[in-house]
Amino acid sequence: MEGLVLGLDLCDAYTQLVCAQGEKTWTLPTVICRKKEEELWLVGEPAYASALEGSGVMVDKLVKQVIKDGTATIGGIRYRGEQLMVQFIIQVLALARKEYGTTNISRLVFSVPRIEARLLKCLAGCGEYAGVAGKDIRVISHTESFMYYVLSQKREVWNNQVGMFDLSDDGLSYFEMKVQRGLRQTTVVAEREELEEGFSLDILNTAAGGRMADRILCSCGGRMLQRKLFSSVFLTGKGFESRDWADGFMKLVCNRRRVYVEAELFARGAVYRGEDLLREKSAYPYVCICEGRLDSSVSMKVLHKDQDNQLILANAGVSWYEAGTEVELILDGQDYLEFIITPPDQRKKKTVKMVLEGFPKRDGKTLRVLLQTGFLDERTMTVTVTDQGFGELFPSTGAVIRQEVRL
Amino acid sequence: MSVIVCRQKRAKHPYFLEGLGVNIYTCQELCYGIYHHPLLFMDGIMDQNLVDYIRDEFGMGFVAARLEQRIKSGDRPEEVLFLFMQECDYYTTAELNRLRQTVAGLKKLPGFEYAKRKADYLVQFKQYGRAIAGYEEILEAGDGRGDDLFVSRVWNNLGACRARIFQFKEAMEAFGRSYEKKKDMAVLERMYHLTLLNPKVQLKEEYRSEVSRELMSRWEKDFEQAKEAAKESEEVKRIRELFEKDSVRRLDGAAALVEEWKQEYRGMA
Repeated sequence: MEGLVLGLDLCDAYTQLVCAQGEKTWTLPTVICRKKEEELWLVGEPAYASALEGSGVMVDKLVKQVIKDGTATIGGIRYRGEQLMVQFIIQVLALARKEYGTTNISRLVFSVPRIEARLLKCLAGCGEYAGVAGKDIRVISHTESFMYYVLSQKREVWNNQVGMFDLSDDGLSYFEMKVQRGLRQTTVVAEREELEEGFSLDILNTAAGGRMADRILCSCGGRMLQRKLFSSVFLTGKGFESRDWADGFMKLVCNRRRVYVEAELFARGAVYRGEDLLREKSAYPYVCICEGRLDSSVSMKVLHKDQDNQLILANAGVSWYEAGTEVELILDGQDYLEFIITPPDQRKKKTVKMVLEGFPKRDGKTLRVLLQTGFLDERTMTVTVTDQGFGELFPSTGAVIRQEVRL
Repeated sequence: MSVIVCRQKRAKHPYFLEGLGVNIYTCQELCYGIYHHPLLFMDGIMDQNLVDYIRDEFGMGFVAARLEQRIKSGDRPEEVLFLFMQECDYYTTAELNRLRQTVAGLKKLPGFEYAKRKADYLVQFKQYGRAIAGYEEILEAGDGRGDDLFVSRVWNNLGACRARIFQFKEAMEAFGRSYEKKKDMAVLERMYHLTLLNPKVQLKEEYRSEVSRELMSRWEKDFEQAKEAAKESEEVKRIRELFEKDSVRRLDGAAALVEEWKQEYRGMA
């Protein structure tokens, strides 16, 4: 059997695991419990059970723990958020490994509500610790999962705009995806808006609470969907497991629109992404712009064979945490670098100049620099320029300059 | 004003650029050397060794194959160089055209004039051994090549090179030949200074009689002044500073300096 392709939706409230090779899915609360007397870890419902009977200590909000670099003390041992997450991931992956009788995982894609640098690093480490090769691990945002899920459906489902409501214990969010068909390429843009009207799902347990929740959703639905042409609307999250409480809202969204309910949408979207990574050529030949991916391209003007050319440093649509680059440049008669930032709307194109203060003034094409770029998030590019010298003719002065560029 | 991307590989092993006495690691450094010092490199630098280096170290296999082909088909050395520089994409076509013009201008010079310029250029880079060979080649090629003034200058420059590598006797002889061709007191002064530098070398009586006592004492004074000035030269200051350092740093500095001198001497010889 080939390695498993797993999509893992990881939130503070719940975790869902889906495998491309089978129909079985796992949904469990994102909690971990360690037995008081021994180093035995339990996750999900057994963790709750152990905590209730008093034999273990349970920790929740694991994602937040990692992002905030928090700690928890269990049985006299202080665990960092990352250590707890490692144990949690190992236990969750064990579910699929046991079910399909293999330890081999060829792709593991995490889907998280928001891409945070610390979380990214932690999840990559967790995956590796759990025996998955680093190159086979990806972390994507819920927005990207949504995009991959929708794009993997029939074209008629996403011909026009696609909307989605996600209602869970973590809050209420609205997602929207649109396809911009150009002559040269098709661009798919997906966005997420966290709605202030989010509420605890506990209120759905009473009739009055349900009616109030319905009114809230009707108000949000009316606002988000008005005067737009939708091919389809998706509903996901624990809140939509039952729609008995949402008569008004369902009536609103189903009016001249196709509505789909998908409980494991983010995990499935992650699996589709994982499957696509295995292909030589992507099944999604679009420029995908969403959270976790750059919405602008960054380039600079260079001279090549006597002509002005564009050197692309980062392409719109690539994951910002994979978009770093390194290139050696020779500056002829200029003491600055100029970055061209091109957003989807070309009219908003701008240039950012970076003056190389403290760098030697060398003429005759002998100022060679190493340009290294990386991203802190979708909007912030870090640039490091180092004087490389020009061999023994002009040794390096060691001058370095670092700067952040807002896209 | 422009930015150029360094697309070619940086060499793992250096190539020693003899003309400049430096190691190079990139094709841009090689182009820079050729562009700024065409006289040093345009005739014989592009040989099989360099072509192999370009292929293996810069990862420019296709270019190397073309260079090989051009060399085999007997293209002029400068044309082979131009092809290489064009492929490196470091200099623009306009800049390369300027270099072409410079090279064409040099190539138009009479052979002996060109050879002298080249030898003079080598002197600037302390390549005395190669410069001497160049001057001797001009002189050996026979009469009828240039007037007395030209020949006198060649002998004079040959004498200067010999003196730089401490071959005072041969230097004295060369200066003598220069003086015979053109009675220039500056040459005579150099010969006199040689005798002060090395007492074993003597000024011929026939020359001595041409110099007045006053002139001789003035030359002696100039020589003393030059010696005093030399004591304050950068090189001497550097050595003085070195001896003021602690023993470990002094030894390290001395080792580096000796290595530098060795390199310089290899270049000279």
